[in-house]
Amino acid sequence: MPIYLDCNATTPMEPAVAAIVRRFMETDFGNPASPIHDFGVFARAAVDHARKQIARVVDARPDEVIFTSGATESNNLAILGLIAEGERSGRRHLMTTAIEHKAVLEPFEVMARLGFEVEIVPVGPDGRFDPERIAAGLRPDTLLVSTMQVNNETGVLQPLAELGAILAGHDAWWHVDAAQGFGKDLASLGQGRMDLISLSGHKIHGPKGIGALIARKRGPSLPPLRPLMYGGGQEQGLRAGTLPVPLIAGLGEAAKLALRHHGERREKCLAIRAQAINALTALGARQNGDERHTLPHALNVSLPGIESDRAIAALKDVIAVSSTSACTSHTRTPSHVLLAMGCSPERVETSLRFSWCHLTDAVDWDRVTSILSGLRGSKGA
Amino acid sequence: MNPIFRELEQATTDQFENGELPKWLADPVLQVARNPARYAGQEYLIEILLDQIRDFDVYAEAGCCKWAYDHEDIARTLRWLEEKS
Repeated sequence: MPIYLDCNATTPMEPAVAAIVRRFMETDFGNPASPIHDFGVFARAAVDHARKQIARVVDARPDEVIFTSGATESNNLAILGLIAEGERSGRRHLMTTAIEHKAVLEPFEVMARLGFEVEIVPVGPDGRFDPERIAAGLRPDTLLVSTMQVNNETGVLQPLAELGAILAGHDAWWHVDAAQGFGKDLASLGQGRMDLISLSGHKIHGPKGIGALIARKRGPSLPPLRPLMYGGGQEQGLRAGTLPVPLIAGLGEAAKLALRHHGERREKCLAIRAQAINALTALGARQNGDERHTLPHALNVSLPGIESDRAIAALKDVIAVSSTSACTSHTRTPSHVLLAMGCSPERVETSLRFSWCHLTDAVDWDRVTSILSGLRGSKGA
Repeated sequence: MNPIFRELEQATTDQFENGELPKWLADPVLQVARNPARYAGQEYLIEILLDQIRDFDVYAEAGCCKWAYDHEDIARTLRWLEEKS
């Protein structure tokens, strides 16, 4: 059985989370919208409890947590949900960065087709956007600025504190796609200036199919979002549909554990990181993204002379890794993230993404490096 | 011992002495907090109870999502702790 090193694609579920999910699937299966009997009341208590567990991670209020199917839906709601507000207010300028996930870039393309003016800010070779570029582009009619917290391919933490200071003097709504960093880097999401934060359960050892959009209030009001679908008025009218209590309770538990065990998880990931860097450096690996800003659980490197497809196939019995994001790895499209960072086509084609977690078993790095060295020797064979 | 039981005892004592948690409600909660062996494996409900004690409000209102709890909520959770054990 290979060791799973693709935790940026998805993480293994924590046993405690699985137990909670099972409980609400098999035993406590009530509908929180039917608090007319104990089944419904208990389900509602579970949902309220999960809201608090999630809100605590980013110092938000429980009623600012809107449950969705995951970060993709949260991103879509945060961006497309502002269409009506943009049309009402006449603010039609939007900004984002070149390294965002497709779940942000594609809704921006939709906004552009609807007549909104989209500005995509470039990033540097370090894998980070320059907050000053956003500052320079801000206009009175800027409706939305959308930036990710941590890049999914490189693991690079973006300069959110600096951008928060810049946006403190501007009315633009600020959305942060935190799918890769929620519960992993706590400090960067704590600032109150962020209006909208997207997260996914399965990236933090919770279930797939559940996530949230944290919509921080300005004064008494939520951001002026409009729902993407209708029929039931759940989640303060922003996300219709019966609440999936097992998934919500599981997400809440996963958020609680991320907060409670943050320090020890980080230490475990740093230890694996040291081993990975030691092994891959010996092969002449070049890291993609600035190590000083990279989170402990991810490492993107290019291995000169070793195409990533060949490496992944050769390593498949030892470790499971990827070359790009899970959502694009099946298309064989070159990484738009690495290209945006200015990497050469050769460097992109030889890139590998290693990502792990506190549940990762010991990796036989000697075997990994031996296999990779062999590939380099057999180049062109 | 799971530290959540100690947290529950501290929060309950604080709400009783400095807040508005009545004695008739504080007593059964303290009985739970001081009997961790009996309620082992019930951490999920103990966490809910702890939140309810911390956010106890005599005039708690039920909105789209509750963030304050009254005596009925706490009494119900105490009942669940007995029924679901």
